[in-house]
Amino acid sequence: MTNHNSEAVMDELDMSAAKAPAREAAGARAKAKSGAALNVAIGVSAVITVAGIALWAMQISGGMVQTAMRNLDSWGLYITMFMFFVGLSAGGLIISSVPKAFGIKGFGGISKVAVMTSIAATVAAIGFVVVDMGQPFRVWELFVYSNLGSPLMWDIIVLMTYLILSCVYLWAQVQAEKGKVSAAALRVISVIALVCAILVHSVTAWIFGLQQSHEMWHTALLAPWFVSSALVCGTGLVMVVVIAMDKAGYLKVQRANLVKLAKLLGVFVCVDLYFFGCDLLTEAFPAAGGMAVVDMLVSGPLAPFFWGEVVLSLVALVIAFVPALRTNPLLVVAGICAIAAIFCKRVQLLVGGFQIANIDYPAVLTPYTVTDWQGNMAQAYSGLVYWPTALEFGIAVGVIGLAFLVLFAGIKFLPLKPADEK
Amino acid sequence: MHYGMVIDAKYCISCHCCAAACKIENNLPEKTWWNRIMTVGGDTMEAPAGVHPRLSLSFAPVACQHCENPACVKVCPVGATYRDPDTGVVRQDYEKCIGCRMCMAACPYTGVRSFNWDEPKNGTDYALGDADVPAHQKHVVEKCTMCWHRIARGEEPACIEVCPSRIRFWGDLDDPESDVSKMLASRQHTQLLPEMGTKPSVYYLV
Repeated sequence: MTNHNSEAVMDELDMSAAKAPAREAAGARAKAKSGAALNVAIGVSAVITVAGIALWAMQISGGMVQTAMRNLDSWGLYITMFMFFVGLSAGGLIISSVPKAFGIKGFGGISKVAVMTSIAATVAAIGFVVVDMGQPFRVWELFVYSNLGSPLMWDIIVLMTYLILSCVYLWAQVQAEKGKVSAAALRVISVIALVCAILVHSVTAWIFGLQQSHEMWHTALLAPWFVSSALVCGTGLVMVVVIAMDKAGYLKVQRANLVKLAKLLGVFVCVDLYFFGCDLLTEAFPAAGGMAVVDMLVSGPLAPFFWGEVVLSLVALVIAFVPALRTNPLLVVAGICAIAAIFCKRVQLLVGGFQIANIDYPAVLTPYTVTDWQGNMAQAYSGLVYWPTALEFGIAVGVIGLAFLVLFAGIKFLPLKPADEK
Repeated sequence: MHYGMVIDAKYCISCHCCAAACKIENNLPEKTWWNRIMTVGGDTMEAPAGVHPRLSLSFAPVACQHCENPACVKVCPVGATYRDPDTGVVRQDYEKCIGCRMCMAACPYTGVRSFNWDEPKNGTDYALGDADVPAHQKHVVEKCTMCWHRIARGEEPACIEVCPSRIRFWGDLDDPESDVSKMLASRQHTQLLPEMGTKPSVYYLV
């Protein structure tokens, strides 16, 4: 439904790249055009957001029976997207804060834009938790009856802190450029932001990784793995956004900085694939219970997402590491491949966790039991145990619209351009 | 006090009386079953496992295991599910539940927790069962309460007394003189998924 519109917005901003010689001449024209395009983008994302809210109201009033989630697969697209957007939020903040925290040379003027993408992605992540809740009007209970032992509670605390900190960090960068915040203070904020970024990914991993009930989730590797996956898709996102903004004439990215980003992306993809390999080997080697997880991924219902991740990661890797391939259009392809690969990873984790039931003996099946409840248990698990409904897709597009709205509004109203260009 | 159940599952005939009694007693929504009879092996309910002529047929009634180390209680962000310290019963507060379904992801016993995916209706125009049962709510998680309203009055849970095979027992596991304690002392028994370390309060005799 609203899907079409959001794709159009992405096309407009992401999918093209200029040839270097033509760039200077087109600069002024592009600037005027991009101003109008930005207003259109803000309008379109606002409309998508409002449509999403209307669909969410439908979900609340008509019941979550309209989603495909059921007792045996009790989380779905929303929590997948929550994981995914927490991951996307990483890149911006980490790429921006690491150079400042360690006092090394950064990526030029892209630091503020990068943090803006973090803020937008964090807003989406929080949005996805909210639309997943059965009783969103009881959200205040989280702060009154907090069970501080729950990983979900940790995540809510860390995510809130992360959002506030990202905003403070962005503000501090703007103030530092005006000379109102000292370099030392900015460096302290960078360090805190960096620690918080690593925490937010670890804690999100622990929502899954600390559950002994799902063999696929229950591994100590999950937290570091979430950090590496976040770095992959976050770097991919920053790369896509800065190339798009360079094309739109909003800021100028130096070739050297893009190459640095690409190399970083390649390294992150390698680390992520290494963790993947370690996990698969550990699951498979005893040839016991974990074998079911490996079979499900390699040749079972989740194979398209498994091989999708592998192939997309390799494409990103090759583009990032082969100097001749590091052209702007191909770097955008690499960035999108990296993001899509991590999305495949998230689907594997979420659906895969529910795909293997601890107790799969036949018992009474009702429309509440499992998505495909009309056959027997074996039939319910023969394909993907869960596939979202149109309503879930619609609400998800709405939340993504909100993230784009935040990003575009930031670009329009905040001084995100590199200071030296003004 | 630590209330628990002992089920002599070897003699379960899968008549679903305990499941139906639970459903009526607690005025359960139409599509919700807190207590379900699982057919061990087999493709569908009441179908034997194995290949002819080597067939076997056995059943396991499964509801909330009221664990001593419950995975669900640890993860609930608002404490809507908690273990009652006086009785060992794992309880669920519908008023508090925010519907995040973290407990459903954490519980190793597939399907014992149920979410009301729409407005709970029991299939009749009137409420069934006991008047002391709290009203069901849309978009919250619920599960076996060990018939909290009945044990509060000193009665047994509804599933115990209806069993025609007389294989369900309920009592205080801390009291060595209780029926359940004596049974566990004299008979071999097992628990569901002991490797999960949840220490269920429901025992199955073998």
